Amino acid sequence: MAKARSRTAARKIKDKWKAKTWYNILAPSSFDKITIADTLSDNPNKLINRVTEVSLQDLTNDFRKSHIKLFFKINKIEDTNALTQFIGHELTSDYLRRMIRRKRSKIDGVYDVTTIDGAVIRVKPFATTDKRIQNSQRKVVRETMKQTIYNQSKTSTLSEFIQFIIDGKLGSEVYKKCKKLYPVKRVEVNKTQVLKSPTIQIEDKNLKKEEMKEENEKQIEEIPKKTEKKKTVEKKKSDKSDEKTKTKKTSEKKEKVVQKKKDDKEKKVITKKSKATKNPKKK
Amino acid sequence: MARVGVAHIFASFNNIIITVTDLTGAETITRCSGGMVAKSAKDEGTPYTAMKVAQIVAEASLEKGINRVNVKIRGQGGNKAGTPGRGAQAAIRALVRGGMKIGKIEDVTPIPHDGCRKKGGRRGKRV
Repeated sequence: MAKARSRTAARKIKDKWKAKTWYNILAPSSFDKITIADTLSDNPNKLINRVTEVSLQDLTNDFRKSHIKLFFKINKIEDTNALTQFIGHELTSDYLRRMIRRKRSKIDGVYDVTTIDGAVIRVKPFATTDKRIQNSQRKVVRETMKQTIYNQSKTSTLSEFIQFIIDGKLGSEVYKKCKKLYPVKRVEVNKTQVLKSPTIQIEDKNLKKEEMKEENEKQIEEIPKKTEKKKTVEKKKSDKSDEKTKTKKTSEKKEKVVQKKKDDKEKKVITKKSKATKNPKKK
Repeated sequence: MARVGVAHIFASFNNIIITVTDLTGAETITRCSGGMVAKSAKDEGTPYTAMKVAQIVAEASLEKGINRVNVKIRGQGGNKAGTPGRGAQAAIRALVRGGMKIGKIEDVTPIPHDGCRKKGGRRGKRV
């Protein structure tokens, strides 16, 4: 009996393997949509919420960045491509252990920050020094770390903020500020977690220009579509105003953004109309 | 097709378990352990069995089209031994000999930020 059962079990496992197909996992658009990994499944719905870990070395081909691990979560599937979103990063444990030593100070901090596109990120930076420093000095170092992080988050989107952290710019900035008080050796971000994904879509400036060009080329056909888009924008606005949970400041910001977008679109429509009227004359 | 997987190597003092998964860690490709290879229980954690286990794993994963692995190595961890067991090194070497390419090697032993009391009582383990 046992033999027979094991045989059937073996057959089942083989069949399962054959039923599975491979899917490419793509990085989000802020990382240029490179294929970062592949995974396999018999059912594409099972892919959602899987998390891949990629070192920054693989994404940028920069071997100095091999100690940074990025985490991407699958949220959408298109054919054999799985699209992902960034959910956090971490330093490798051996890199961390190399930096932390005896008779030296390590200054930690944990901060929740919101970026201008509405994402909430938990950032865990730390600084190391050459010698043990006093508590009052630690306090100042911690405060400068906090300030630089909060200032950066006020002016950047999620992707820009991540880039800021990954590039190590935080370290150089804090170093400059703390130099007079105590020269910190290294400032790095140990870990980030995206607690809430961005709610408002803010496009990059370069992308916007390209879009403008494309749209101008397309001319008359798009005008009816434009009006539809307008409606959707208005709907969004009303939806957002309904949500009472959000703070006044953020809601004001959002309205501003929406209004800006609206204005832009109106301008575009006007330019198009003028172009449309011009072109037949040429013919 | 060159595909990348992850080789999770759990090397304690008394056993070794190697599981090869895809990069998400959600799908297992093959797995093997000391008990499937060694003849007696005391041999399960030796470097020799680790080598054999790694050979079996390498063969099976090559057959399924995975020829490159990132290695995540792990010891007992927690309040027990913080370093991987003696089979760990032998296993990685055998993976390479078996035709696998190694990407990154990382130690993922769980380390407590101070957890439970260690076994052995107030006066420690008496030998």
